[in-house]
Amino acid sequence: MTHPSGGQGDPDHVRPITVALLGNPNTGKSTLFSALAGIPTRIGNYPGVTVEEKVGRFAHAGRPIDLIDLPGTYSLRAQSPDEQVVVDVLQGRIEGVAQPDCIVVVTDATNLERNLFLASQALDLGRPLIIALTLSDLAQQKGISINAAELSHRLGCPVVPVVAPTRTGLASLGDRILESVAADPPAAADLGPYLAAIDAGRPAAAREAIARYAWIERLLDGVVRREAAVAVTLGDRIDALLTHRLWGTLVFVATMLAMFTSIFWLAAPLMDLISAGMDAIGAWAESVLPEGAIRSLVVNGVIAGVGGVVVFVPQIAMLFLFIALLEGCGYLSRAAFLMDRLLCGVGLSGKSFIPLLSSFACAIPGIMAARTIENPRDRLLTILVAPLMSCSARLPVYLLLCGAFVPDLPVGIPWLRLPAVVLTAMYALGVVVAAITAFVLSRTIFRGPPQPFVMELPGWRWPRSDVVLERSREAAWSFLKNAGTLIVAMSIVIWALGTYPKFAPEAGRQVPEAEARGEALRQSFLGMAGRAIEPVVRPLGWDWRIGCAVIASFPAREVVLGTLGVIYNLGDVDPGAEEGASELARRLKAATWDGSDRRVFTLPVALSIMVFFALCAQCASTLVVIGKETGSRIWPIVSFTFMTLLAWIGAFAIYQIGSRLGW
Amino acid sequence: MPRRTAKNIMPNRGSPSLNTSTLEKIRIGSTACVSDVQGEDSTALRLLEMGLTPGASVKVVAAAPLGDPLELELRGYRLSIRRSDAARVAIAR
Repeated sequence: MTHPSGGQGDPDHVRPITVALLGNPNTGKSTLFSALAGIPTRIGNYPGVTVEEKVGRFAHAGRPIDLIDLPGTYSLRAQSPDEQVVVDVLQGRIEGVAQPDCIVVVTDATNLERNLFLASQALDLGRPLIIALTLSDLAQQKGISINAAELSHRLGCPVVPVVAPTRTGLASLGDRILESVAADPPAAADLGPYLAAIDAGRPAAAREAIARYAWIERLLDGVVRREAAVAVTLGDRIDALLTHRLWGTLVFVATMLAMFTSIFWLAAPLMDLISAGMDAIGAWAESVLPEGAIRSLVVNGVIAGVGGVVVFVPQIAMLFLFIALLEGCGYLSRAAFLMDRLLCGVGLSGKSFIPLLSSFACAIPGIMAARTIENPRDRLLTILVAPLMSCSARLPVYLLLCGAFVPDLPVGIPWLRLPAVVLTAMYALGVVVAAITAFVLSRTIFRGPPQPFVMELPGWRWPRSDVVLERSREAAWSFLKNAGTLIVAMSIVIWALGTYPKFAPEAGRQVPEAEARGEALRQSFLGMAGRAIEPVVRPLGWDWRIGCAVIASFPAREVVLGTLGVIYNLGDVDPGAEEGASELARRLKAATWDGSDRRVFTLPVALSIMVFFALCAQCASTLVVIGKETGSRIWPIVSFTFMTLLAWIGAFAIYQIGSRLGW
Repeated sequence: MPRRTAKNIMPNRGSPSLNTSTLEKIRIGSTACVSDVQGEDSTALRLLEMGLTPGASVKVVAAAPLGDPLELELRGYRLSIRRSDAARVAIAR
């Protein structure tokens, strides 16, 4: 089998054979896809839905074959858009997607009975069909032996045992594909006798399901032999540990901690490295380009924008590495199982746990992780509430404001002081608002027929390193490719708004650089916008400069500190560095309202800014990713509007209460 | 393994009699035989499609640490369903 590059060499008149990989989730379908076709030639969404379309190309015996990897499904009686796509593809009802010439049903040999349910439905389609028995090595270890020849004879279609990692059976599968296209399709499952035995009062779909299992039991009678497993395998021992009430829970907590620390702390040095690298490139560009608009655009617009995109890659790559590892060893479902009770109360399911947990590090990988939620309603709801989790970009804002404006008072518990309580309260605020939002939305706009939470818990298996790495690479790449350009474009727009119209100091007057930069920002479109929205932010206790800094932080929340630095004539401060932060805090404390000596920053104002940042959607990258992941322009707009509204209400409430109580 | 015979299917849907119960009520670690799945909605259908058909033998392996959902073993694989859904699976012991 070869992997043609760019399709050259295939005679034009040879139409590629279209083959669809159909199968239950967790059957090793993706592994088989990678083994057959390598890296997909096309990844995208099916038109109008957020269901991933994955197509690859390979050649067998000189015939080009287009391989479609369908989303994992349990039944062809579709209950969700994912499943509907599978049915539509198989029946050739999707524009631009050729109807498959042959269906390969990927069937888990360790779980043949339930896997054949889907296969028996596929037989009804009357298309050439092949059963690929995956995980047959694992089945053997478990003492399950399958007489593939007899099964093939009874089904009337080829049954090919494959072990994708070692490429065992792949050539044979290719041969059967070429033969089956020319041969008559197998007959549909004859359910008649079984249907006759079932209570006629039941709905047709239920009768059909019952009859299919009866048909499968008869089909497998004498084909599958189960012996007591030869020996207790390592996998069995791991399974026993993971399902143990105490140890299983401890392993889960440890795994989640490891995952979270890796995206929160381990990714940090890489992100710093990227930032430093981009700074170096910026400094280099500054040294080679003549001073002027072009230099400013390149350094502060383009390079800063690209840096702002690339900086997310370590977190995305690392989170997806983890998710792919958990998925590969069958643990992802178990994590959802363990956390389901916690989340189903607010209208979500256990599958939302990892995306939401990841969002405490950064909402972008978190939202992307929502891809693992099959149910589209739960996925959308998770995507909408994920940005409410306080991400690492909010932390510097909280730290600076808590440190500078929250009095360092004891709260009655040793070691615990008020700033730490306020900081914790900000994290809690995001969680509580997210819970309420999910609860309300799931009972109003997202109300619909109840989606069954019926989830397979696959047993332990060893993850495949190439599949894991590919998943991580693909996630990082799809972010760069799909979201990257838009994010860079938005940073350039914000740069332009903060730079133009140009500030020209009066002739002959020498202005210190920091002051000039401050004046330039105040006179720019951004400054004008800040003044224009002043009536809106006044009730929050803000002056126009805070409003301006908040608008400027639209590309990313943490920018607000830098912008405050510039707007208060500090020049560039590094709020991460200690002296930068304390200098900024000192300057903020001294700031007064225009034309009076009343202080701008008081405790209620600091709280109001923190609450606003806890709840707002001031993160262009998040909104872009929401757009890409939902495949719609509506949801980022909805998300931005509703979060900004929430943020405004929250900030308004805390400021008004705080200033009434005389904090 | 105990297997269904179609004649065993109890037609008394909705009113489990004395010798029947529902799946969420049985002790963790015990095995039962499905007699019916109540209801005609998509959840009931999905439970049937996952193999909880009348006559199938099911073991309740565990409950999640927070009490819900349940972990079942049937037809050689493990399945997780919520207690509220398990309450619709009538069993005969």
